[in-house]
This record gives sequence, C-alpha cells and structure tokens, in this order.
Amino acid sequence: MISVEHLTKRFNDTTAVDDLSFEVKPGLITGFLGPNGSGKSTTMRLILGLDQPTKGRALINGKSYHSLSAPLCEVGALLDAKAVHPGRSARNHLLALAVSNGIPTSRVDEVLDFVGLASVAKKRAGNFSLGMSQRLGIAGALLGDPPVLLFDEPVNGLDPEGIRWIREFFRTLADEGRTVLVSSHLMSEMAVTADQIVVIGRGKFITAGSVDELTKNASGTVIVRSADNTKLNKALLSANASISEINDEGIRVSGMSAAEIGDLAFAAGVAVHELTPERASLEEVFMELTHDSVEYAQAAKEVK
Amino acid sequence: MTRSPGLFAVVRSEWIKYRSVRSTVIGTLIMLILTIGIGLLIGLAVKGHLSTMTPVERATLDPIQVAMGGILFAQFAVGVIGALLITSEYSSTSIRTTLAAVPNRLRLIAAKAIVLSVVLFVVGEIASFIAYFDGAAIFHGTIAAMPSLSQGKTLQAVLLSGLYLMLMGLFGLGLGLVLRQSAGAISTYTSLLLILPILVFLLPSSWQSHITKFEPSVLGQAMRSTTGALRSGTPVFGTWSATGILFAYCAAALGAGIILMQRRDA
Repeated sequence: MISVEHLTKRFNDTTAVDDLSFEVKPGLITGFLGPNGSGKSTTMRLILGLDQPTKGRALINGKSYHSLSAPLCEVGALLDAKAVHPGRSARNHLLALAVSNGIPTSRVDEVLDFVGLASVAKKRAGNFSLGMSQRLGIAGALLGDPPVLLFDEPVNGLDPEGIRWIREFFRTLADEGRTVLVSSHLMSEMAVTADQIVVIGRGKFITAGSVDELTKNASGTVIVRSADNTKLNKALLSANASISEINDEGIRVSGMSAAEIGDLAFAAGVAVHELTPERASLEEVFMELTHDSVEYAQAAKEVK
Repeated sequence: MTRSPGLFAVVRSEWIKYRSVRSTVIGTLIMLILTIGIGLLIGLAVKGHLSTMTPVERATLDPIQVAMGGILFAQFAVGVIGALLITSEYSSTSIRTTLAAVPNRLRLIAAKAIVLSVVLFVVGEIASFIAYFDGAAIFHGTIAAMPSLSQGKTLQAVLLSGLYLMLMGLFGLGLGLVLRQSAGAISTYTSLLLILPILVFLLPSSWQSHITKFEPSVLGQAMRSTTGALRSGTPVFGTWSATGILFAYCAAALGAGIILMQRRDA
C-alpha cells in the first residue's frame, strides 16, 4: 500500500508535483498515467525519499521511506534502468545492493536467473542494451522480495516479447498480493496492463479509477439515426444536447445517454432507426483529461 | 529474514563497490606504485648528488623526506580515488539506486569514508614502509644514512606518511560530496595542491611564511619531518599540529558535503 498525501514539490519557480493525493492498493496493478513532464518520475522519487517534498508526504504501508530499516525488502523500484555504475558487473551491482540490506547473496543469483541475465552476470553493466538494463533494474527491484513495487516507464526499450513478459510479470506480482505501481505516458499500454489508473497532468491529480470507470464516465458519444433527422436535431438542440456531427448517416450527440436521446425522440414523435452509444477508448479519455495540462505546458514553453 | 542491517552492512556493500570497479582498484595501485617508485628515483638521484652537496645542504638533508618524496605524487591519486567514490555515483546516476537501498545518507557517507580510510591507510602504510626500506637501502653506508625505525621520530614519520595519504583521500571524498561531479572535484583538488602554492608565491614574502604552512602538502611534509623544519627553511607546524589541521580540513570538507547531501535532492 502506498499513500500519497498532499504531496507537493517545487523546483525554484516550477511546481513539479502539486498537492497530489492518491492511494495504491495491494493486489492490483495501478497505472500511473500522465503526459511527459507531468510529474510522474518526481512523484516516484518523492515516494522513495530521493527528493525532499516541499509539502505533504508519501507513506509505504504507513511508514515513511526514510524510516525503513531494510528498504529493499519493503519497496522494490525501477526508476532509471541506466542508474548503474557502467564499470561494475551486473552481479557485483546486485551483490552490493543485497549486502547493504542484509539480503542473502544466494538471492542475487536467483533474481539474475529470473530475469535471464545469468549468462552475462559478470559483464560490465555499461555495455548492456536498454532492454538488458531494464531487466537488471527489475532484478534489483526484486532482490528483497518486496511487497511494494514501483516501475517508472518499464516498457521503454523492451521488444514486443519483453513487453509481453513484463505484463505477465506485473500480473503475477499483483496476484501474489503485492502493491504494483507502474508509470507510463502510453494510455494504450496501461489499458491492457493496469487494473486501476491514476491520471495526473501538470503535477496535479486529474482522476483515478478502474479502466472501466474511466471510460464510462468520460463523455462518450451516441450516434442516432431517425426517420426525420431535421426534426430530431431541433428537439435535441432545444434540450441543450451538443451535436458534434450531423450528416445523412445520422447525428452524433455528446453529453447525453442513449436512453435520454431515445426518450427525447419519442416525445418529439420521431421514429428512431438506430441508437448506438460509442464508448470512448481509454486513449481518448486520456487525451481529453490531459488536454488542458499539455496545452498549458506547451504555451508556457513558448512564452519562455 | 529482515534483521535490520546497520552501518556494517553498508560498509560491506561499499567495499564490494570499491573493489568491483576498475578506476578505484587501478587508482589504489597507482598510489602504491607512485609512493614506492618515485621515492626510489628521488633517493637514487639524491644519492648521486651527495658528493657535490654543500655542507649546509648535507646538514639539513632529511633522508626520510627524500624516501617519502613519492607521496607528493601519490597524493593526487588518493584525492582522485576519494572524489570518484562519490562523483561516479552522481555521473552514472547510480546514486539513486544507492540511496533507495540506503536512505540514511549519513550512514552511506560514513560507510564510504570507512572503506576509503581502511584501504588507503593499509595500502598507504605498506607503501610508506616499502619506501622507507628502499630509502634505507639506497642511503646505506653513505653520509646520509637513514635512521633506523627505533631512532627518534622515524617510525612516527613513516606511520604518518600513510595517514597523510588516507586523510588526503578523505579530503577528496569531501570535495566530491560538495561538488558532485568528477571534473569539478578533481580539478579543485589538484588546484589546491598545485595552483594555490603558486598564488601564495606571488604574495609578499612576509605573508607567504604564514600561509604556506597551511598548504596540505606542506602539512604532509611537516607530518613526516623528523627535524622540525623543512630543507627550504620554510617554517612549518609541529607534527601533531599539522596532523590536527589536516584532520580539520577533512572534517570541514566531509561535514560540508554531508550537510549539503542531506539537503539536496538526489
């Protein structure tokens, strides 16, 4: 369980994380979603105690990261796959981490085996490909067999095979009852990976919920075809519906449910031929939710 | 299985890190080779000159200073090792991985300082004693015969030579903590040892005598001095004052580094 409470981080004049609060529950994969530069990595660094929050706090199972006596046994994290001394071998890198947290050295070979790096364990980590570095980072996160795991953009640099592997891996971790937080700027990735999603933009909390909830609550559209589109259009407009498209095929209505439109048509005495609710894809929801923050960021950049 | 790992676990971890990277291992060997090799060369050069020396030069010749001449070179190696111990973590961003494993920054620095101190002290003493025995062999039977270890302050001078290398390594670590980047820390360290004396040389000579004795390498010469003065006649601190001042430099650099690290984001 990770609790983020009113977390705020300011760097000089920019606010990277702005009064952010959310919870990450065990047994689920929680996607941490936001456009690039929205504060996901900063939030993760704050959770790991690498950066000092300006305000607020982040707790791991009720405790601050700094108070953990063997943090690797409580939280495993992969923030930056390249955060390894390039001249040190994969095995020595993991060995130093294990020893610092009192983890038996036999565990090092176990995790190396698990991520498939056993054969290159004695090679310098600086020569690893991004995919191999990611796997070394995952091995490091798993060293202490922690109940809480954080991954920052883990699919970057992985091939399709690796992406499938990591998805199944996250599922296994969650099924074992662990808390899994995975950040991404790719909605499509989260749609297939995550159970719960926390969306942030410009460092602020935007929304959270299951993938289903997010798409349900989003302003989906309904396509309606009727015997008399002109008459129906008039009825819709007088009911303050917003028409996003109108052509011979039908009318695309947003902000109204299919049932409401059906009732309206019945009241207006128009026979309905087709009534199709179009559910927004998670991608569209994401674009809509973060549109403002992305645009703002762009404008701010131009002003500077 | 989670017995709380303390400082000792972090020291073991830092020792694995120290010995598993080429730069620190090679740096340590270079320090050993410079201390012994340069000492040998200077010793041989001085021996060849003994017959042409003036009586004053002969009278003030301190064979221990000659044998330990390699330390003037080795001090650069230890500074670089000390600085790299932390700056390489920042340049590779592995500091984040390290701090995620050891969130207590004071404990991390303490562990790094302990590993560095033990390695540099042990290797520094080995180097110093070999340099001493080389010097003794070179000057054997000459008018500049090396005093034996049991004579006067000889043993103390040799022991403090190793300690000097250790302290300069810690000073480098402190600079690395403050500056967080290899180039900055190493150039600052070498500037303090090489450029500062040149700048002091440009000052009025009445000031020089007051400032020069505070320079790290002059403090080092004072620590290994058995005569209480340098050949050049520059006034120096007594052995223990010099040792204390150098300790204070290390404490100041490390202290500043620790305070800054506690405040700064990784």
